[in-house]
Amino acid sequence: MRETYGVVLQGMNLAELSGKLIVIEGTDGVGRSTQINLLKPWLEHQGHAVVDTGMTRSALAGKGIKKAKEGHTLGRITLALFYATDFADRLIHQIVPALQAGFVVLTDRYIYSLMARALVRGLDAPWLRNLYSFALKPDAVFYLRIGVDDLIPRVVFSRGFDYWESGMDLHPSEDMYESFRKYQTALLGHFDTLAEEYGFEVIDATQDIHSIFEQLQEGIKRILNGEQAKELRTEPAPPQVVTKIAAPERPLPTQQPEEADAAVPKN
Amino acid sequence: MKRYGEHRFPGKLFIVEGIDGSGKSTQLNLLYQWLRSEGYGVVFSEWNSSPLVRRITKRGKKRQMLTPPTFSLIHATDFADRMEHSIIPLLKAGAVVLCDRYIYTAFARDVARGMDPKWVRELYSFAVKPTVAFYFRVPLDVAIKRLHASRKGFKYYEAGMDLDLSEDPDESFKIFQGRIVEEYEKMIPEFDLTVVDATLPIEEQQMQMRPVVKNRLAQAKRLRVAP
Repeated sequence: MRETYGVVLQGMNLAELSGKLIVIEGTDGVGRSTQINLLKPWLEHQGHAVVDTGMTRSALAGKGIKKAKEGHTLGRITLALFYATDFADRLIHQIVPALQAGFVVLTDRYIYSLMARALVRGLDAPWLRNLYSFALKPDAVFYLRIGVDDLIPRVVFSRGFDYWESGMDLHPSEDMYESFRKYQTALLGHFDTLAEEYGFEVIDATQDIHSIFEQLQEGIKRILNGEQAKELRTEPAPPQVVTKIAAPERPLPTQQPEEADAAVPKN
Repeated sequence: MKRYGEHRFPGKLFIVEGIDGSGKSTQLNLLYQWLRSEGYGVVFSEWNSSPLVRRITKRGKKRQMLTPPTFSLIHATDFADRMEHSIIPLLKAGAVVLCDRYIYTAFARDVARGMDPKWVRELYSFAVKPTVAFYFRVPLDVAIKRLHASRKGFKYYEAGMDLDLSEDPDESFKIFQGRIVEEYEKMIPEFDLTVVDATLPIEEQQMQMRPVVKNRLAQAKRLRVAP
């Protein structure tokens, strides 16, 4: 049966969440969206109903985060909590109803990216684990892994350096290149730790698009056939606490291809 | 990341808690006037006032988009913004900061909405521990009577209408606020809240608060501020 990372939200019946939750993780510019855009039609062709979701796509907080980031004025705890709000809204309104209805939920990043970003910014690991302890454990996490030397040319020749992806809030005195290098190196280090801790299935993201796609297909087939991709290790989580009140019934999620940013990874 | 109780600042933080209609805002205003007249640099920081998050919270409430976890997290975001950008810098500068509602409001409301008490406490563990936290204790029916005199009706989330406690907003408000009072009562020993009997005359409550505050200001430097 499906589990959470410690806290079960009120009214959430884990036994009803029969769909599959598949996470594609990886750093900025590694090609997650490209793969999701290939996986979705492939899964649908096989008759699976698919919902895809990703960071800052919640109705509640998505636009607010984008707006707030333009001002570059967010504190690190505030930013972490803003993302958590966005995540919770998507979990409740998109992911859970889709799993209830037996969908395959493909998510572009999950709590791990949010944790890695917050860890680079000096927040506590135990605090973050508590923050996201209400998250559902996915059926698999595919981690597109890349080194910073392979990452840099991709970013340079596609969209250039971005303020946040370069961690300019952390190294304001440096130029974008130096800052990007430093920030992404630290970020990838945290990803590697999380990969170990949470048992990600690691895929070498320096391969060509098609090879990565094939490996993802293999992994996902296994999950849809009812096998675990790999024993998903979990944190020594506190005992599950079931809280009291029943949540209001939620309608089925409508698939929202939020704006036109699906093709270009933008997070 | 400094946690609750680990911060050391020259400024002082006084906060008031209690259900709506307990009269805590009236008391905080009186305290503010008094401290100013005594020559301290005093600043207000209100619950739910971060310019960044306020608009989202407002929209979320208006459209009834909030669920207990997002209600909790959006308020924590707002609080974090105020903590990082306003309260901590002010305390560093040696100001006396007054907060109308603080993390205990979140603990009471979120738990009354069914969130896990330990989860919420850990969520807010980045907060500065107040110098003194006053809790204005008032029987529910007294508070409701005061509120009926001053407003037309209760708002959706204020009355806990999102919890399907009752179809009737008045009834729902009563049940929901009753739960909140229960949570406050549990927090008195847990967080060493200073209880003020909010049924006493206004003047008398204020006369109880002032010596408590004054005591804790003994070593605080007096900032001369422009009137």
